[in-house]
Amino acid sequence: MSQALEGIVVVDLSREYWASLAAALLGDFGARVIRVEDLSTPARDPGRDGVYPVDAVDSEARLIHRNKESVALALASEAGCDLLGQLVSCADVLLTDASPENRKGWGIADEDLLARRPELVYAVGSLAGPLGPESSQPPLDELAAARSGVMYSLPEPGQPPVNAGAGQMYTSVMLALGIVTALHHRHETGEGQRVDASLLGGHMYASTLTLDAYMAMREDRLAEPKARFDAANPMSGISYPSQDGRWVTLTMPDTDRWWPAFSKIVGLAEDDERFDTHEKRCGDSRLAMMEALEGIFATRPAADWRADFDEQNLSADIIERYDYPAKDPNARDNRYVIELEDPELGKIKSLGFPIHMSETPAQLHRPAPAVGEDSEAVLKTLLGLTAEEVVDLRGKGAVGISDRVS
Amino acid sequence: MAKPLEGIRVLDATVWFQGPVCAQYLADMGAEVIHVERPVTGDQARGVRSIAAVPVADWNQYFLAVNRNKKSIAVDLKKDEGRDLMHKLVEKSDVFLWNQGLESLAGLGLDYETLSAINPKLIYATNSGYGTAGTVSKPSFDMTVQALTGIMARLGEPGEPPIYLGLGAGDAYGGLMGALGILLALYHRDRTGRGQAIDASLYGAQLFLAAPTLQPYLATGDEIYGLQQSRSKTRNPLWNRYRAEDTWFALCAENSEDAWRALLACVASPSLGEDPRFESAVGRRENNEALVAELDALFATRTAGDWVGALEAAGFSAALIETYRGVAEDEHAWANTYFSQVQCDELGEEVAIRGVPVGLGRSPGSVETLGPELGQDTELLLFDVLGLDWDRIGELKELGVIP
Repeated sequence: MSQALEGIVVVDLSREYWASLAAALLGDFGARVIRVEDLSTPARDPGRDGVYPVDAVDSEARLIHRNKESVALALASEAGCDLLGQLVSCADVLLTDASPENRKGWGIADEDLLARRPELVYAVGSLAGPLGPESSQPPLDELAAARSGVMYSLPEPGQPPVNAGAGQMYTSVMLALGIVTALHHRHETGEGQRVDASLLGGHMYASTLTLDAYMAMREDRLAEPKARFDAANPMSGISYPSQDGRWVTLTMPDTDRWWPAFSKIVGLAEDDERFDTHEKRCGDSRLAMMEALEGIFATRPAADWRADFDEQNLSADIIERYDYPAKDPNARDNRYVIELEDPELGKIKSLGFPIHMSETPAQLHRPAPAVGEDSEAVLKTLLGLTAEEVVDLRGKGAVGISDRVS
Repeated sequence: MAKPLEGIRVLDATVWFQGPVCAQYLADMGAEVIHVERPVTGDQARGVRSIAAVPVADWNQYFLAVNRNKKSIAVDLKKDEGRDLMHKLVEKSDVFLWNQGLESLAGLGLDYETLSAINPKLIYATNSGYGTAGTVSKPSFDMTVQALTGIMARLGEPGEPPIYLGLGAGDAYGGLMGALGILLALYHRDRTGRGQAIDASLYGAQLFLAAPTLQPYLATGDEIYGLQQSRSKTRNPLWNRYRAEDTWFALCAENSEDAWRALLACVASPSLGEDPRFESAVGRRENNEALVAELDALFATRTAGDWVGALEAAGFSAALIETYRGVAEDEHAWANTYFSQVQCDELGEEVAIRGVPVGLGRSPGSVETLGPELGQDTELLLFDVLGLDWDRIGELKELGVIP
């Protein structure tokens, strides 16, 4: 068995970025992922939030739909829903971010399916979890970010709230993790089950340390945006601008350990009476030290500071832009960034695989399919339909077939 | 109800946060997780209060919440007898987890070759800083690694300082990736009987965390994905954050004719509806700064709660931008066990901490206890798991191998 999820069939009935990505993760580790695209609903516009001009190149699909087959069905039609039901009956896992109403309308309500097939793993991604007050809000990352407290707390005081987008990325992995946990449980007991992960839960997970601190103390200051110089430690969790405008950032919480080498490179005397103990650095002299460091870091370009940080093996670095990982040989050597041959763009770089496995590594089996690229093959080989039946279903508009030749 | 990972024993030889939070998931889901700590000082996270690394309550929520549901064994791995104890525990465990630098493993006799020879079914997991394939071995704390990915540099308004995603936001992602790697390896072992080595590094996880913008940058090389973007220059003013009279809210609507008409009806502004600049989707995109300014002025007249109510009633997706106080009272967060109440012995009362993030219908995880006292289970584990007698345990104490 060359991959961990070999032989597992996943039906991916997702719409949002993060839910589709969860299915791609399963595909990266060997599951056969059959993506069902609903022809009855307009496709999601990846540029809808207006932040970037993504309409030119739909590059996200290359990540979130890789290692998948695509079947296009009109789920507003009875024939489309019937085919969906047949696909799900061949699956080990159903992964969806559709609302309970839609799932019921399509004939795949979890209570019905799990009653019929108790060995199924039925995974649902939602805005805020299955329990609690009814809500008709769609599972959008921004809505959960807004509710979670993190969006409010991230910027400098007085600046607009910031959605870093981390919550949805957490939710992707949580959904995949829940599914594999349920597969292990099924192996032990024969039982499938419902799996849930939500964007609200994802954002809360992403802010674990701050949230646990807030829950333990319930002090408003912990929830408020922090100015840079509000940092409790001048040598940890703080950034300073260098001469060329690029920022350096420091994380040396136990300052006693780092002070001898650090004081040398910033040109402060190790026995400077203002700063010579951890208590002074994080206590009475905290602000004075930050002001001193602000002045010192502004005197040399970032690259020079990095050379010194590296030489002394300090926990400090430059705040880079995306060109850094794109060119980083270590990102390439670990397959975090890969190169691939794209059917439309030719040779491109892409995110690779964040988990290394010695015996069952992640693999890129195929690039993202065009919508409906595999409709015919899947309906014939998996569901046993004849060529005539596929033509008939296509004629009725229940099935879509892509013309792309890949 | 049985938890899904019952019967799985994990040796959690990790410190600080990334490794401990990885093992936390396994413990929440029923694995027997043994936090392996050095005698006397233990995991450095026990000392966060004095080093001003994170805000700490009158009980150390940093260590105790992260290491909930775990046991603790204190053993000096630098002594031969300590190494021998670890090897015996490895023989009787399913997972070994490490996040204290890969270069020290061989010297401690804890490298993959040694441990997999002792137990070929072992899942040998590391949460490294920069991966196992390269040669990078510099320190790897959350923020310095996050800085390298490029994600901080693109956040915030243009000209403002780069934004850190929040304390441990990358660490926890590395931990979660580690847990996914361990579960994948466990499922592979279920079906083949074979163990393996897995690694989820902080750098690799944080690169993936940046996917929504890093992936298009990698595919196109367009710098825009890595640069700060102003909210007043969004290409879709209908999907944005707005400041109402009292606080901020988020509005998420596509730039369509229907949405624009509905928004005009909701905000009841005839002048906006008559403005020819905003008549079409293209107009709204091209005159984005003017439209954001108009909407800023309009929304400033009522409270965010009023607007969110009115917008939701009109069929919009909108949400109040809450503080942590808001999420602490969020009914969904409590109903779905994203928070848990658990007894805190130091306070003699229950405290609320972040709960179990993944729901399982038949075999759910749960929070039973806060983190352990340093070495609290040492003797019992040596007695129960390794079958040592009390004489031998006494000798190990005298040698300083265990406290």
